Amino acid sequence: MRIKACSRKAFSLAVTMLIVNVVSVAQSDDSIWSGVFTAQQAVRGAADYSTNCASCHSVDLRGNSNTPSLLGMSFMFIWEGRSLGELYTKMRDEMPSDRPGSLSTQSYEDMLAYLLQSNQFPAGEKELKASAGMLDRISITSKPLTDSICCRLDID
Amino acid sequence: MKTKIENCLAVALLVGSTAVAAQISDYQSVTEELLRSPSSGDWLSWRGTQAGWGYSALDQINSENVGQLQLIWSWAMDDTGAGEAAPLIHDGVMFLPGPRGVIQALNAANGDLIWEYRPGITPTIEGSNAVALGPDQLGTAAMPTTAFAGVGRGVQKNIAIFGDMIYAATENASIRAIDARSGLLVWETPVADPALGYYYTAGPIVANGTLVTGINGCERYKDDVCFITGHDPLTGEERWRTDTVARPGTPGGDTWGDLPLRFRAGSDAWIAGSYDPEANLVYWGTAQAKPWARAVRGTSGDALYTNSTLALNPDTGEMVWYYQHLPGETHDMDEVFETVLVDVDGRQSLFKMGKLAILWQLDRISGEIIKATDVGYQTIVNVNPVTGAITYRDGLLPRIGEQIDMCPSTSGFKSWRAMAYSPQTSAMYIPITLNCELATFGPTEQVLGGGGTGPVRRINYPHPQSNGNLGELLVLDIPSGEVKWRYRSRAPINTAALTTAGGLVFFGDWDRRMFALDAENGDILWQTRVTTSAQGFPISYMVDGRQFIALPAATGGASWSSMLPRDLAPELVRPRNGNSMHVFALPAP
Ligand code: HEC
Repeated sequence: MRIKACSRKAFSLAVTMLIVNVVSVAQSDDSIWSGVFTAQQAVRGAADYSTNCASCHSVDLRGNSNTPSLLGMSFMFIWEGRSLGELYTKMRDEMPSDRPGSLSTQSYEDMLAYLLQSNQFPAGEKELKASAGMLDRISITSKPLTDSICCRLDID
Repeated sequence: MKTKIENCLAVALLVGSTAVAAQISDYQSVTEELLRSPSSGDWLSWRGTQAGWGYSALDQINSENVGQLQLIWSWAMDDTGAGEAAPLIHDGVMFLPGPRGVIQALNAANGDLIWEYRPGITPTIEGSNAVALGPDQLGTAAMPTTAFAGVGRGVQKNIAIFGDMIYAATENASIRAIDARSGLLVWETPVADPALGYYYTAGPIVANGTLVTGINGCERYKDDVCFITGHDPLTGEERWRTDTVARPGTPGGDTWGDLPLRFRAGSDAWIAGSYDPEANLVYWGTAQAKPWARAVRGTSGDALYTNSTLALNPDTGEMVWYYQHLPGETHDMDEVFETVLVDVDGRQSLFKMGKLAILWQLDRISGEIIKATDVGYQTIVNVNPVTGAITYRDGLLPRIGEQIDMCPSTSGFKSWRAMAYSPQTSAMYIPITLNCELATFGPTEQVLGGGGTGPVRRINYPHPQSNGNLGELLVLDIPSGEVKWRYRSRAPINTAALTTAGGLVFFGDWDRRMFALDAENGDILWQTRVTTSAQGFPISYMVDGRQFIALPAATGGASWSSMLPRDLAPELVRPRNGNSMHVFALPAP
């Protein structure tokens, strides 16, 4: 098989897309703390998780001696600083580990929403979608400091 | 049309009920005596005999004729979970444990089904007041029936046979007895609360009339610790329970620092033990402490009785001695595996090997170390060959968030794929997998219900001495510990080893191959390819004068089974299902 050389047209298109990408990162609110999935989606994801993942990762997501925990400190230790796109790809390409990639795109999206919700990330207005590289631009981060200041003030 | 369906239904019902009613008509009770010295055609203990050799005294199939082996029958097993089957044979019947509690009795000569036991479907035997556990009693361990091959869920390695019953330990942390003639349930005893994470993956053994079983799933923080039990085989009543973790205030309790009971996790007893009837001692391994790394666990103490061999009196559960192989273990290097009882130069010994591929020889009466042989693949500890004492190499103690470079990976070199001993060659045949890892251990919450193993950022890489091979059958001379020969393959060796008096060693690999090698020199004498990765415990037996070799294939399960081939030999592909049993013999005369 021969790989076609990159045509000038395709190249300029790629450059444009790159620029658009950069611009959109700068412009849109892609913080994982801004609500990147819906509560409804997480409910669907919970059901799919229980059918397809709980047998290994446990009903409460804490795993067992052969399977990693997907919750709390353990989850953040593995995933902090990485993108949602990477997490999504890990799930879609390698999970369930006994039949990787066997579920629908929507199911993987929903289960990612469920994982996020279980790890205390807030739900929002728009469903999480794997399309258009959106997930690659969302980074998994700890709760921003401003939030905790806000909450402490709230309590006071 | 309607009548036709009704007819079909009637026939179906009839077939269904006769299947349930089928019996082993000439079943002979299995006595203590028989377990001690089984006929060479039977396979009454999970590793053949109570001494755990994985050796068959049959020699009809031998190094001269093994090339003529033919498939006589095969049998597809349930694909509802991981397959790591260790079948038993008694008087021409194979008792085959499948995933999620299913047990089938097959005519071992031709593979015809005699009966099958299905949890929640097979009725109890008449006159028994046994209650099969319902979903409400299963706690959070109750899994959807659609669940696939869950790691640690549904695995049913070995079962036991004694008297008129077959014994199994379940994924819901209960032990059950099944009538060996009919497959009907006789009793089921809940042993621990599955909602706390408890489950079984290994079944019982029978020792001096007691069912001895080790629990798994002890990694969560809870107000309880891991244990081994003794049960009455007739009634299911618990006779004793021995903790595998030293509680605060008990002997050894200070080896966990000042951690309260609830944070003393691990020491799972997830592989069945062996039994020496003369000494009346059961030998059972325990797993590493949890969370894996000391820094995450919160103590650098020895953490008794983790990663030890325990010698238990089967009548009382009393711990007669223990030997801790890796005190304060801190890299997920499990030492729980099978115990092989061999007398060497008049010394009653036992042999063990853990993930580090150090072969331990202990005096099985006193528990003293005789010899520790480091095969030389691991890079984590230094071991004194005479005293067995270990020290961690410089820079190898994990600190939270700091990457270390270690061989093996957290998957280990050795795992549940049991080694076999051959008295003919005086050698141990050990399935291992060569691999290393850049590992970064991370923290976990110290809260009730939390704990677990602790997270690890892991990057697997090939072992520098492996030449790109993952699989190795390592053959060590006993007692010298010298390497007799090695067989290597790109794919992990994925079954236990089976040695036979025919001068052979049988095993299979992840790439669907099954082999017979010359036990003396490692020459490949026979091979075939099957449905999916070879996986489980090969056995040999005889029916009506004909010797059979039974080789299981399966998927699911942890350590080497999925992640290592995926990362280090990505060009190898196996079907995602195909749990099955494959039985070979020489052509009929
Ligand atoms: C058969 C057992 C099994 C099933 C079923 C399974 N997993 Fe996993 N999963 C594993 C194992 C083992 C690992 C660790 C090895 C690896 O990273 O591949 C893992 C790792 C992961 C990871 C990466 C976690 C980390 O700490 O690196 C994620 C995310 C994950 N699984 C999500 C899922 C989801 C979502 C499902 C259901 C669609 C699922 N898994 C089903 C066994 C399983």
